[in-house]
Amino acid sequence: MKPKHIGRAELGGPATKFYEVFARATSEDVLAHVGSIEAPNDDLAQVRAWYVYDQLPWKEMCVVPTEAFISVTERGARGKIREM
Amino acid sequence: MTTPDKDALGEALRNDLLALADSKLVLANWYTTCVHNGRSLPDFAALLGMATATFGHTRALYLYLVNLGCDYDGLERRAQPAAFCSMNLLDRPPEDWEDFIATVYLAELAMWTFASGFLGHPDRPLAGLIRKIGEESYFHLKYCQGWQSIFTETGNRRYGAALAARLPAALAWFRAQEDDLLQAAGQRDLPLSTLCQSYRAEVLNSLGGASAGDGPPASLDGWDPQRRRAGTMPQRLFEIIRLKDPGAVLR
Repeated sequence: MKPKHIGRAELGGPATKFYEVFARATSEDVLAHVGSIEAPNDDLAQVRAWYVYDQLPWKEMCVVPTEAFISVTERGARGKIREM
Repeated sequence: MTTPDKDALGEALRNDLLALADSKLVLANWYTTCVHNGRSLPDFAALLGMATATFGHTRALYLYLVNLGCDYDGLERRAQPAAFCSMNLLDRPPEDWEDFIATVYLAELAMWTFASGFLGHPDRPLAGLIRKIGEESYFHLKYCQGWQSIFTETGNRRYGAALAARLPAALAWFRAQEDDLLQAAGQRDLPLSTLCQSYRAEVLNSLGGASAGDGPPASLDGWDPQRRRAGTMPQRLFEIIRLKDPGAVLR
């Protein structure tokens, strides 16, 4: 089964990846998750994130490949247990 | 060397900024016209965002040109293609996606290279406007770089061919008169010839050092140094870019 962070191929392009988008509007704000974006590479992910999540004039925005995330807790579970 | 008079300097600056603004007007229309050729929904959003930003650059430059004696409504309502000063590079519509990206890259990089010459302009509002344009052009160029990476990875030869075919017209846009008055008067940071060399080097570098596009600037018949273009904008292009509702001009 295809991992969730791998997207479909775009028209005429390679397969895409998902990226998580983080931003803050002012220096006092925390860097918060604002959404996710699908793109074939890091450059296009940055541009797409910048234009899709343009609801505020962000002071800082970052994108992180979803595949880079390491889950500390399993989704929906209360905690991990060691599999035997 | 004699110091150029104030009127000549004002005219030179007006001509250069109008050539930049009109080229951005045409490029913004390229984006809006081609938006449905985007590769995905987020690509549409990026193209529309770049269109909006580029229209914004155009209007901000038109408003600045009022300080140099231009009439804003007059600029918006020009009714003849001969009145526009857009770059020849954008006259011919894109033939395919690769040609679109190659032309947009050449146009965006040419406009930013040209505009960056005014980053140190003594009129601080102009320098600030140019800096703001640069901050937004950063994303436009990154968009092109993203697609260039894909073309390189997939061994797409059509992109390199399109870039090489369009480059001479892009280089021609930098053509300077014998003396660069603005640079001599301290209004342009670097001579246009230096900016052009820098531009050429960056484009060739993006081609991986290939010499395919390393030809001379296009020899354009009827070159008009004031309008920074040869001939008149094609009628079909004019029908796309002209203001459709002259009553809707807002300041």
